[in-house]
Amino acid sequence: MQEYACSTKCTWCDGCGDYGIWTALKRALVELNLRPWQVLLCFDVGCHGNGADKLKGYRFHGLHGRVIPFAAGAALANPGVPVIAFGGDGASFSEGIGHLVHGVRSNYPLTFVLHNNANYGLTTGQASALTWQNHSMNSSPNGIPERTLQSMDFIFSLAPTFVARGFSGNIPHMVEILKAAIEHRGFAFIDILQACPTFNHFATHEFLLEHVFDVREEEGYDPSDFERARATAADTSRRIAIGVLYQNEDIPDFYEQLVSRREKRTVSVEEVELREVTDLMTEFL
Amino acid sequence: MSRISLKIVGAQGQGINSIGEIVAKGLKRTGYCVFGYREYMSLIKGGHSSYQIDVSNEQIWSSERTIDVLVTVNHHGLAQNFREVKANGVIVHNVSDWEWSEKDVQHAKEKNITAISLPVEEILKALQARSIFGNMILTAFLWGLLGVDQQLLKNLVKEEFGEKGEDVLQKNFACIDAALAILTSVAAIPKSQRSDFRIAAAVRGSNHSVSVSLPKPESAWKDHLLVTGSQAMGLGIVHAGCRLYASYPMTPSSPLLTYIADKQNKTGMVVKQAEDEITAVQMMSGAMFMGTRALTATSGGGFDLMTETISLNGLIENPAVVVLAQRPGPATGLPTWTAQGDLLLAAGSSHGEFPRLVLAVSDSQDSFDLIPEAFNYAEEFQIPVIVLTDKQVMEALWTQRSFDLTKAELRRGKLVMDPKELKKLKSTDRYDPDAGDGVSKRWLPGSDSETFCAQGDEHDAEGNVDESSANATAQMEKRMRKFKKLKDVLPEPEVFGNENANVLVVSWGSNKGVILDAVAAIRKSQNVVYLHYTYLWPLKTEKFEKLAKTAKRKILIECNYQGQLGMLLKQEAGIDFDERILKYDGRPFFYDELQNLLLKANS
Repeated sequence: MQEYACSTKCTWCDGCGDYGIWTALKRALVELNLRPWQVLLCFDVGCHGNGADKLKGYRFHGLHGRVIPFAAGAALANPGVPVIAFGGDGASFSEGIGHLVHGVRSNYPLTFVLHNNANYGLTTGQASALTWQNHSMNSSPNGIPERTLQSMDFIFSLAPTFVARGFSGNIPHMVEILKAAIEHRGFAFIDILQACPTFNHFATHEFLLEHVFDVREEEGYDPSDFERARATAADTSRRIAIGVLYQNEDIPDFYEQLVSRREKRTVSVEEVELREVTDLMTEFL
Repeated sequence: MSRISLKIVGAQGQGINSIGEIVAKGLKRTGYCVFGYREYMSLIKGGHSSYQIDVSNEQIWSSERTIDVLVTVNHHGLAQNFREVKANGVIVHNVSDWEWSEKDVQHAKEKNITAISLPVEEILKALQARSIFGNMILTAFLWGLLGVDQQLLKNLVKEEFGEKGEDVLQKNFACIDAALAILTSVAAIPKSQRSDFRIAAAVRGSNHSVSVSLPKPESAWKDHLLVTGSQAMGLGIVHAGCRLYASYPMTPSSPLLTYIADKQNKTGMVVKQAEDEITAVQMMSGAMFMGTRALTATSGGGFDLMTETISLNGLIENPAVVVLAQRPGPATGLPTWTAQGDLLLAAGSSHGEFPRLVLAVSDSQDSFDLIPEAFNYAEEFQIPVIVLTDKQVMEALWTQRSFDLTKAELRRGKLVMDPKELKKLKSTDRYDPDAGDGVSKRWLPGSDSETFCAQGDEHDAEGNVDESSANATAQMEKRMRKFKKLKDVLPEPEVFGNENANVLVVSWGSNKGVILDAVAAIRKSQNVVYLHYTYLWPLKTEKFEKLAKTAKRKILIECNYQGQLGMLLKQEAGIDFDERILKYDGRPFFYDELQNLLLKANS
């Protein structure tokens, strides 16, 4: 854990769920025997993104909403380096929702962690697409006129190969699902519900603590059962399931689907050299 | 210089391109330099499109507006392109029931123009061939008119259509024979032909009135390549060691995506047809960051979407290469036409201030040569590089010498890959504000070394967010020092002609070819020196200032409304042009047109 520590002081609010996620991330990497120089952590813009300089590892802090395609490009250039991307609900369900859709359907070999506090924290508390209706937020004092996006059902509609949900208040549990996600073949989506004591007064830490339950406690729960997973994930009316809700390791990831890369023993970063094109010229004679 | 122009017109979907490609290739293999120019519309079937081939035994890089031979597969060509035909020109068509107007007949008589109506329907019926074979009849007739070897055509047809099976092949050959038979026998032309035109059996040596005379072939051209600018650039991209290509289709950059995608199994490249341009440019950026060479290509509208990401690469000092294939804007504009309207966009886009390189290709040769250089500068300076091209370069058909594969260099700048050197690195080396020339060391994720953050906020030397005044100043100055160094190392623009000439012409991009052709043509009456810019930003003006001093007349030639290179030269060197030849109708400058404009500009 010490290897990942750095001296930059955290700037999150007291009680912010990011502390839990940040801790769980470092622990998961350590338990997977991944040294800081062996990983690439990609952050979007938001409170979560302010974690980019609060730990070690090769890191990237990019443009708002655009972390997934950058991470995907990096992962495809060198599938030997685990790539973990992070985004808030603003980045992922508004600005960058298109990238999320295509990231899941492309099944890129990367992990995506959603820092889900149902608001735009860093810009001081506007509603996100995941904010509940009938709650007054910054810039929507009457509550939002839109309907809340059903995020889990939406994700399942994209035929994901790995869906997990976590809670920022349960670090050991988050460590487990992070590890499972990083080891997953393909795009691993983790929705981490986190408290935002400053701006989110509906899904508070207490609320989440009361409502989450480990899906392994449910009788006969089978994470390979897509329909059941979808229903379980989407139904948060009484309680909220956390854990690895769905996983399918039989689907090839995007890189494996590339016919051009089969038989390759090297990765793209090892292949940068001037190349012979005499053969390619012959069709133009 | 002896050159002729052939133009094939018809609706999209009628096979114009197939005819054009075969004829162009056949002529090249016979020993001619051909230059192909296509016009088409933003639709799939219908409209009116053209495939023009200019032919010479000497180097040519341009198209004429007036035509020696017009081949049209429908009546629209007869209506719309008739007046483009030169005196003594020939029209070949298949519209048996066409009625020429009195005016047209008079015009044709005055200009000694011949129209030949081929009985395509009759031939197809006799051969029991479907209408799609009609184009082969026209092609073969044109072939015969030019006096090109029949066997060469049959070989080409075999190459192009061989995989469609023996029956199809034999049908094609039968059509060819039938078409060529017409040429050798005037009697074969049905009486339904009007006697207003002189019907010519254009056989070499025959004493009939019209033939199309090609200059003598020059065998050196036979081994040249016939490539579009897209294909040339695609070859350059592969040659440069680019391993990942991400792009969203947008005319005129789409054929480049198609080419790269078609070759991916051979080259082993990772190819992603992205869901939008922001994805494409971000994926290229991530791949470059991880340490491979990656590229994206688009046109103006797509580039607009990429500008924030270019700003990102500027701040995190990540090498990036974006090809901007221009077409007329604004907005959707003229999707299938050409322009040079995005120079200022390329040079000035993206919020904030940071160094970038803008360069422009002008033909198939530098479409190939400049890609390795684009990557080299991107990696050496850790900056975004924008490669400008346009529909004219990308879609023209160029007769190109086989690319010299020994010329390119691979330069990766201060990239540290050696394990021993990596161990010595400190995280603060990555964005060290005191780095010489502003270029600090760079190393890749996965390297056993200290780590850093490629930070999109203003940052300190290791990528921690730092909002202090001192840091903001130091980092801005570090990055902008790169701009100064880049300007120092870039080559000056190229000079064609005598530096002491009276008339100085300045331009960039696709105008190069037509300017060289036009200047050569008017050489006897005009002494012109042409200054050609490849590197556009940073902009070097030393050569320009020197030539501007001695020239009596300074002429700017551009395919945009504002004279954008002229604006940059005025900004950087304080020098105005006497004359600006500006075209912004979606068409390139034509060989004959530009000669007239140059003569007028100097009068």
